[in-house]
Order: sequence, then structure tokens, then C-alpha cells
Amino acid sequence: MIMILLSIVFIIMRVLPGNPVLLRFEKNADPALIASFTHQLGLDRPLYVQYVDYLWGLLHGNFGTSMAGDFEPVGPQILSRFPATLELTFYAFIVAVVVGVFLGAFGARKGGVPDEGVKVFGILIYAFPVFFLGMILQLVFGIWIHLLPVSGRLGAGVMPTGLSIDGVQYQTGIYTLDSLLSGNVTEFIDAVRHLILPATALGLVISGVFVRMTRANMMETMRSDFVTAARARGLNEKTVVYSYALRNAMLPIVTIMGLQFAILLSGAILTETEFSILGLGTYLIDRVNFRDYTAVQGTVVFLALLISSVSLFVDILYAYLDPRVRL
Amino acid sequence: MKRNNSRQQPVSLMGTLLSPLVGKGHGRPLMLVGIGITLFITLMSITAPFISPHDPTLIGFGPPDSPPTAQYPFGTDQYGRDLLSRTIWGGRFILLVAVTAVLICMAVGLPIGLVSAYNGGNLDRTVALVMDSIYAFPSLVLAIMIISVFGVSIINESLAIAVIYIPTYFRVVRSQVLAIKEMPYVDAAKSVGASGPAILLKYILPNVISSIVVIATVNFADSILTTAGLDFVGLGLSVTLPDWGIDLTYGRQLLPTGAWWTIFFSGLMILLAALGFSLISEGYAERTNPKLR
Repeated sequence: MIMILLSIVFIIMRVLPGNPVLLRFEKNADPALIASFTHQLGLDRPLYVQYVDYLWGLLHGNFGTSMAGDFEPVGPQILSRFPATLELTFYAFIVAVVVGVFLGAFGARKGGVPDEGVKVFGILIYAFPVFFLGMILQLVFGIWIHLLPVSGRLGAGVMPTGLSIDGVQYQTGIYTLDSLLSGNVTEFIDAVRHLILPATALGLVISGVFVRMTRANMMETMRSDFVTAARARGLNEKTVVYSYALRNAMLPIVTIMGLQFAILLSGAILTETEFSILGLGTYLIDRVNFRDYTAVQGTVVFLALLISSVSLFVDILYAYLDPRVRL
Repeated sequence: MKRNNSRQQPVSLMGTLLSPLVGKGHGRPLMLVGIGITLFITLMSITAPFISPHDPTLIGFGPPDSPPTAQYPFGTDQYGRDLLSRTIWGGRFILLVAVTAVLICMAVGLPIGLVSAYNGGNLDRTVALVMDSIYAFPSLVLAIMIISVFGVSIINESLAIAVIYIPTYFRVVRSQVLAIKEMPYVDAAKSVGASGPAILLKYILPNVISSIVVIATVNFADSILTTAGLDFVGLGLSVTLPDWGIDLTYGRQLLPTGAWWTIFFSGLMILLAALGFSLISEGYAERTNPKLR
């Protein structure tokens, strides 16, 4: 699957009509300049050579060199932007799961009007453009009542130092983690305050999917024999719902988490742009605007590898959670 | 013998398509609200030249950045353009892109899914693998990549969105065809000498069509959101066009001043458009799929 994704990326970027080098220059640019640029990037070689070269480079962790003037390697740039995206998606995911699973289970338990309400919430929040929700949150909490910061990851002049062992700094780039490792509580609170709005915006939008999934699974699980049996033994309704039914209803939800991660990344691009967070999403948009195609390609490849690893991880997690698929 | 939708018997194409629209029962309120919203937005966009009070592109029509007043009910933007007129006009391009994308998706995803699943074999497995790979990828990233290589235009935006959603059509159609082609009535049709295309069109397609309606409406909603997303990251059509996505993107520049009206109405329209189609989808699914009740 990774190979197929990488090939699709290659085909779109190099094989299909549409020349990245030409797009980079003005229409009346010097042909010699274009030719030398093409040669420098190795784009004048036969396609199969480029393809093999591209895969070989990736195997060695080489994501290519930037086309935007300075020819810097793309890999380190991507890695420096990744922690911000990871941090945002992690907290957004927590918001999504907590809100989604709780509301879904609540609706399935109550039935009737609350259930209809939960259902409509699920549909409504899914139809929300994440950046519009972000703007509303910024407007209300940042601009009208001045409660939370609306952009960036930290206040001005602050930079977590990370874990320091024998004078050597170990930084993850994940500010909430780094600030804790360095024991600086003020920084940690600052980082969390900056994360609340973007993580809530992204998390709420994604929670729509979880609400629907949990609700549907719960309704099915609630009809199964072991729930009836638990009720017959006189357990109270909350125990039956939250520790018997919900645990079983969660299994199918775990299997779709891999796909949720892809949706989460799409949303993260928009959320990062809205909240001026320097993550992979803003990097991608930035490079697109600079017409830096190797960097765009590198980012897309990086995301492809990321998603493949996440879906592998989810498969392993599923095997761990569900005894039936254990070998 | 009474015909029903239980998949045990062949059903007619138009019958399956339209029957969920009539009669009471589950999902009806959702679907009706959805159809209402969608009709309202479609009519508004089509009749925009007649019902719009002012020219949506006229710079300096009113004072810049004016809050909603009696004269400018939705306020004005930073160039003094009338936001009510821009809101009325703003759905035309975003809806056009969505309609085109959905049509391309159907025209490609449906036949590939039908034929691939019906014929089976290695080709089917290969196509399924490619489709699954695209399906697993973040849709907006793929759209951004395609637009960045091919440039911005209505057809390119539609194509980029179509590429993202074709796998969804393919997957759903394929999984259903795989089940339906084992049905006794398909064997019966084969035994009386019906050709492959005839079986696909007359016996299999009508059973798939109700899921296609569900996917197509979700696809509409997602296309609207993706187009707005592309506008938002700067890959939209011309910045001067009256368009909800573009207005929302540029309206947010005024956000720090607390100007809520520059984002509110365009954002609300995108939300409503996506919501309308989602409601239709949800309602239709509830009516055709008893498991969801």
C-alpha cells in the first residue's frame, strides 16, 4: 500500500502533464535558465530513472532538496514542523474521542429526545468547516472576552528548553512535553492555553464521526444477550451501559481510528492555518505558494508513510484489544 | 408476488430511487429539512442576478467594514462591498464545483465498481488496492497536491475533489455487487442467457442505487467543505469573485477588530449547504437501511 501511494504521488507530480519547473517561472523566462534548473533537479532524465532514484532516496530517508532557491534538504524541514502537528492532532483526537464517545453513549442510553439531539449534533458538527468553527472560537474567547490566545503555540520570547542531561538538551519539539521535561510549569500552562482553541475546534469537528459510530454501535450492543444478562442480574443501568456495553462497542471504533487519522490530518492543515501554528499543514501551504514542488512532494510522502504506520499501529492495537484476533 | 426492497428479488431502478421520498416513517423529518435547505440555497444561487439588491463586486458601494445596518443588512467588507449581495451570489461557484465533482465521481466510480466487482479476478484486486490507498490518504492533502500541479480552475478543483471521492463510490458499489452477484436471481438470469451488461444494468444496478444516493449526497457536502478549504488555504478561484469560501478567507483579516459579520454569513452559508446535503443523506440512509433505525 505504501508503494502504491508513493507511486501515485510520483505520477501526479512528474508523469502527468503539468510541469512544476515551468509553473515556477514566469511565462517569458529565459529557456536556458529553465533548462539548467530542470537539469539541476534531475528532471531531464528518463522517467524510470527518476522513479528508481526517488524510491532509492526515500529508502535512505532522503526526501529531496527544496526547489525554492536555496536547495536545502526537505527532510529536516519536515521533521522540524512535525511535532507541532503531532501535538495538535493528539489533543484534538482526545477531545474528539471524549466528546464523541460520551455523547454517543449518552444518546444510545437515553433514547428519545436526547438521542435525537445527539444525532442532530453529530450531523451538524460534521458539516461545520473547521476553520469557521475556529474563527468563531477565536472571536468569542480571544477577541471578545480575552480569555485565551488566538494564534501561535507560545507567548512571545518563550521557548521550552526540553530535558537537560549533563548540559545536553533533548527536545521533542512538542511544547507541552518539553516544558514539563524542563520542569517549567509556566511554560506548560502557556502551551496548553495556546492549544485549547485549535484542539477544541478540530476535535469537535472530528467528534461528529465518533458520535455517529458510538451511537450506532451502542444501539446494536445494547440489544445483545450479555447486556440483557447483566440487567437480569440486577446491575444498575450505568454499570451496564458504561462498563459492559461501551467496552464492546468501542472495538469497531478502534478499527476506524486509522481512517480518522487521515481526516484529522486534513483538518489539521486548516486548523494550523487558522491559528498560525507552524506545523506540517502550514509548511505544505507555504511550499505550495512558493511553488516548491519537491517540498510539497516530500511532505505528501511523509504523510503517506505516517498514515501507513498509524494504520499498522491500529491493527496491532485491535489485535491486543480483541482476543478473537489474537494469534 | 409483492415486490419489496429486501434484496432477495430484483427491483426496478426508478422505484428504488424514488420510493424513500414518499410515505411516513424513520428519517423523514431529517430528509425534508435537508431538502428544504438545499432547495433554498440552490434557488438563491440560480436567481442571484434577479434577487440580489446590489452589485456584489462593486468596491466602495458602502463605507468599508460597516456592521449590519438597515441599509446594509449583512454589513460591508473591508472594500465597502455589500455582503448581503455577496452572500446571495456566493454559492454559485462552490456549488458548481460540487455538482461537477459529484457527476465525475458517479460517472467514473460507479461503472468501475460495477464492472470490477462483477468480473472479479486479479484486475479487481489491483483496482481495489489502488482505490484503498487513495481512500486512506488525507483528502485535502491530495486535493492541494493536484491543484498545485495543475493550477486553479473550476474543472481542476472538481477533478481534484473527484479523485478523492471516486474510491468511496468504488468501495461501496464493489462490496454490494460482490454480495448481489451471488443471489439466486442473478443465477436465474444467467441461466436464461442474459448477457453480462444486461445483468449488471437490470438486476444489479437497481440494488446499488440507493447507496449511491447516500454517498452522492455526503459527497456533495464534503465537496462543498473541501472547496471552501481550498479557498481558505489560498488555492481558490479569483479573489474578487463573490464566493462564500473566499469571503470567509478574506473576511477573517478583520477578525481582530471584532468584525463578526465579515465571516459569519459566508461561513453560515457553507455550513448550511453542507448540512442540507448531510441531512438528506442521513434521512435517506435511515429510510432505506433498516439497521440504522
